[in-house]
Formats: sequence, structure tokens, C-alpha cells
Amino acid sequence: MNVKNETAISQVDIRDAFFEEVYSIASKDSDVMFLTADMGAFSLKKLKENFKKQYVNLGVAEQNLVSVGAGLTLGGKKVFLYAIAAFMTQRCFEQIKIDLCYMDLPVVIIGAGPGITYSTDGPTHYAVEDIAIMRSLPNIVIFNPSDSTMAKAAAGIAYKSKKPFYVRIDRGNYPLLYKSGYDFSGGVELLKEGRDLLIISTGAMVHRAIEVARRLKDYSIDAGVVDLYRIKPLNKERLLSFIDKTSRLVTLEEHTLSGGIGSIVSELLADSNRHISFKRFGLCPQDYRGWGSREWMRKSQGLDVEGLCEAIRK
Amino acid sequence: MNTADKISELEKKAKAIRNSILDTIVCANKGHIGGSFSCTDVLVALYYGGFLRYEVSDPENSDRDRLILSKGHSCAALYSVLADLGFISHDKLKEFCQDGTDLGGHPDRSIPGIEADTGSLGHGLGIGAGLALSAKLNKKDFMTVVLLGDGECYEGSVWEAANFASHYKLNNLTAIVDRNGQCVTDFIQECNDLEPFADKWKAFGWEVRNINGHSFKDLLGVFSDFRSRDSQKPLMIIADTVKGKGVSFMERKIPWHHSVPKGKDLETARGELKT
Repeated sequence: MNVKNETAISQVDIRDAFFEEVYSIASKDSDVMFLTADMGAFSLKKLKENFKKQYVNLGVAEQNLVSVGAGLTLGGKKVFLYAIAAFMTQRCFEQIKIDLCYMDLPVVIIGAGPGITYSTDGPTHYAVEDIAIMRSLPNIVIFNPSDSTMAKAAAGIAYKSKKPFYVRIDRGNYPLLYKSGYDFSGGVELLKEGRDLLIISTGAMVHRAIEVARRLKDYSIDAGVVDLYRIKPLNKERLLSFIDKTSRLVTLEEHTLSGGIGSIVSELLADSNRHISFKRFGLCPQDYRGWGSREWMRKSQGLDVEGLCEAIRK
Repeated sequence: MNTADKISELEKKAKAIRNSILDTIVCANKGHIGGSFSCTDVLVALYYGGFLRYEVSDPENSDRDRLILSKGHSCAALYSVLADLGFISHDKLKEFCQDGTDLGGHPDRSIPGIEADTGSLGHGLGIGAGLALSAKLNKKDFMTVVLLGDGECYEGSVWEAANFASHYKLNNLTAIVDRNGQCVTDFIQECNDLEPFADKWKAFGWEVRNINGHSFKDLLGVFSDFRSRDSQKPLMIIADTVKGKGVSFMERKIPWHHSVPKGKDLETARGELKT
């Protein structure tokens, strides 16, 4: 397996890994334009200072962010758009739908803080419906990096994409899951094999899935972990090849259960006539509002390690 | 050609285009006739008055001017112009809104001469601003023209784009508002007045010109320097128009936003547009 087994925390924040690479790309291609709705990041300061003409802060006007991005793309530019994921995907949904997806323009949409990253900021700042919403659109690619190696690679994949490309960028330092140079074209990876159970997760929650799999050993359950990092287009064959080796399936996500990866896997199972024990874990669509630390929020939804282990053992 | 002759030619062309719009909408039994008639003269002035740069044999020529019909529901007018110029065939107009056509009730950029998919209001000015900015950055001298409806200006995204365009000094961007004073179900003055309309655009940093959108004298005058203005400001042309212009019983009448004339109404419409 071409993945890392080590558990050391990466020295590089997942967000910085992504933006460092965006900076590197922009410094080599003067046609790259970076448009932000007043959202910053450490690495972006350099971009703003060193490549003034390629950096546009057009203020908190997400609809205009997308439309201007579409216009620049029609004029031959390679455009990255950046805002908080909740606002980036929902305030301007129709602009993404028509100006980017229906027109099939290769614009990169960067959503900062997917899931409940901005936990203390509350429900206005959660992006827990974005996968459901974005995956309903035609042409779009949805990419959800789980570590800083992948986040760095995602910038390059997004840059080369000929399609609208939505990338969810978390923040913080996570253990490295992938070796530098890993080929991310497969869209889904088996990080850990398991005899009894397979946990499919995405983004930052992949690390929770790994923690749960480790803890389940204490209960003599050998659980595997799959990282579904390219949510759309889904690599069905590869995902099924992992699913077909297990008898029990679980999905785990920091997203509402309405339309997230649990729904995606359900649809795959139904469409491919697979009959398997299956349970989805995520945010209750009726009851995820609240304020607190991310871990407190997860616990309140039963997404803490103990809560998950208990639910899985039932 | 002197100005009087030019105006006479353009008036003749506008009449032909209005007839084509009527035929297209009647044939399909669908379409937005009122707003198509109100912006016909503006489109005719742009395409036939020598202002817009385009090449029928090379619709995607990188130096072409970009016209975005942000009030996409008036596409029967633009399609009629594109058919008359040869971007699409005349026969193609008979496909308007028919099963399986790409010539639907709102523009799609798969059609030669169409720059953007529009139809949901409030998108065109932002896209136009992005195009105009790309021209500045790439040192291209094409112009971007965005045709909006006044009812469209209720959309907040229009004003997001308005602010952006003036901040970036997009003097290569011209917006025209087809100010026919009506939205779908009401008169703008009565339901949610936009006045002082010109002052709003001025306050957003635009150069504003008011014209009669059915006067070719005004239209020729207002576009005469649109490529070579000294000002750093984007240009807003508020074209006062009449919804349903050209057919007396449709003019300024609410039902003619998207009704299709039949029977005696159709005869009357044809008669008035022929003379």
C-alpha cells in the first residue's frame, strides 16, 4: 500500500499546504487569478504582495465572486475562487450552477472550513450541506483532502482540471496519510485493511475513522478504513472493489446525513445490487445546530470515538 | 451614408427584426415578446450601426466584442439579429423552443454569437465585469456590452457587479438598461420604484447617459465614442423604452410580457409591423 502508516502529526497545516502550492502555481503562470471574498490565509499574504495583478479581493460578495470568475475564465484566465465553504457554496449556488457548471467552465472553487470547522462560530458558518448541494450539479468535481500531502496535490489537480472543481479545505495539523508523490487519480484509497468491518470516510473525518478502527481492536473487531477523497465523479469500480471484500459497512462524515457520502454509498449499493450490512454516521439533519468546540460538537452528535465504537458494536 | 440615411436604414432593419421576432414567437407559440420588442432598437444599433466588432465566419474570434444578453428572456430579439447576420440560419428560428432544440427560451452559449448562458437575472453584469477585467489584464481591446432589464436591477448581484466594475475602472465595459418600466406582473414605478435610477448608478461610480432607446439618433450618438471615451468609469446607458414597442395594443400592457398574439391580434400586429 502506497500510504503512510506513521501517526506523526504533520508540521504543515492542511490549509497552508494547499495555499503554498497555489502560490507556487500562480508564480509560474501569470494567467492564474486568485479571487477572494475577503477571506485570507497565511500563504495568501505573499500572493497578494508579490503578484498584485493576480490577486483580487472583491469583498463579501460571493455572487459577484463567481460571476466575475466566470467572465475572467471566458477571457482566458485560470481562476481560483475562495471563501468560507458555507458561503462559497450556498450564497451563490445559482451562480455556481449556471455560470460555472452549466457553462462547464474550469473554475476552482475553494471552500474553507468544511463541516463544523468553524464550530464556535455556529450554524451560519458550518458547511454541512455543501456536498449534497454541490454533487447535484453537472460537470463539477468535488475533492476533499484528508492530509497535507493530498491538500498540496489537490492544488495542482485543480489547476489542471478542465471542469469546475470544488475543493474543501480544512485547517489544522493532521497525521500524514500519504507519501509525497502519491498518485491521487484513483479518487478513493484503502488506508487500512480490516476483516470484520469497513469504515468509509472523507476529509478530516478520515482521521476519526482511523481512531475508531484502532479502538475497535480492543473489542476484537478488525476494522478497515477507506478514504473517499474524490467525492465526484465517484470511482465506483474502485470503491466497490473495497466494499466487496467486507461483510459490514459504515460511513462516517461531518456532514448532514441528507445527501453526503453516506447517501452516495447507499446509492452505489442500491444501483449495483449489493446486499450488505450498512450503517451511516454523520450529522442529524434535524439537530446539528449548536455552538462549541469541534470535538464537543462531534460528541453531541455521537461522532466521538467512544460513541461511535458503542454504536458500531450494537 | 449621411446620418439621415443611416437612421432610415436602421429603422428599416429594426422593422424586419421585429417581424422576425413575431414570426419566431408565433411559430413556437412561446416567447417573451414585450421585452424583445423593447430592446430591438438597441440591438439593431449595436449590430448594424457599426459599433460592435464581430465576424460572422469566425464567431469566437478572440478580438470580437462580447455582448451578453443578461435579460436572457429577450433572446428572440437577439436570435433574430444573429439569424439576419448569418450566425445561425433563418430556418433555425423555426426551431425556437421546439423539442430537442438548442434555441430555447433563454440563451445558451453553444449557439454561435451567444457569449453566456443567461436567463436567471442578475448574472450578466458580473460575467461582463470579469470579461472586461480579463481584457485589461491581457491588453486586449475588445469591448464588453451587457444588456440588462430594469426589472433585473432588483437583483442584488447587479449592484455587487456595479461596485466592482467602477472600482476596477472598467471603462471597456458598457451596460445598457432596457428601461421599459415593467417587470412581469407589474409596473416598476408602482411595485417597487427604482428611482432615482440614474443617480444610483452615478453613486456607484458609473458614467451615466440617458437616451430614448427607440431613437436611432440618440442610439447613434450614445455609442459613437463608446470605444474611445476618456473616462475611466464604466458606461451605463439608460435607454428609456416601451415594452411591446411597435405593436400598439402590446405597448405598456402587462399581459404582453410573454403572451403570444393569435387571430385578430396577430393580424393587427402583422399589419402594424409591415407599415
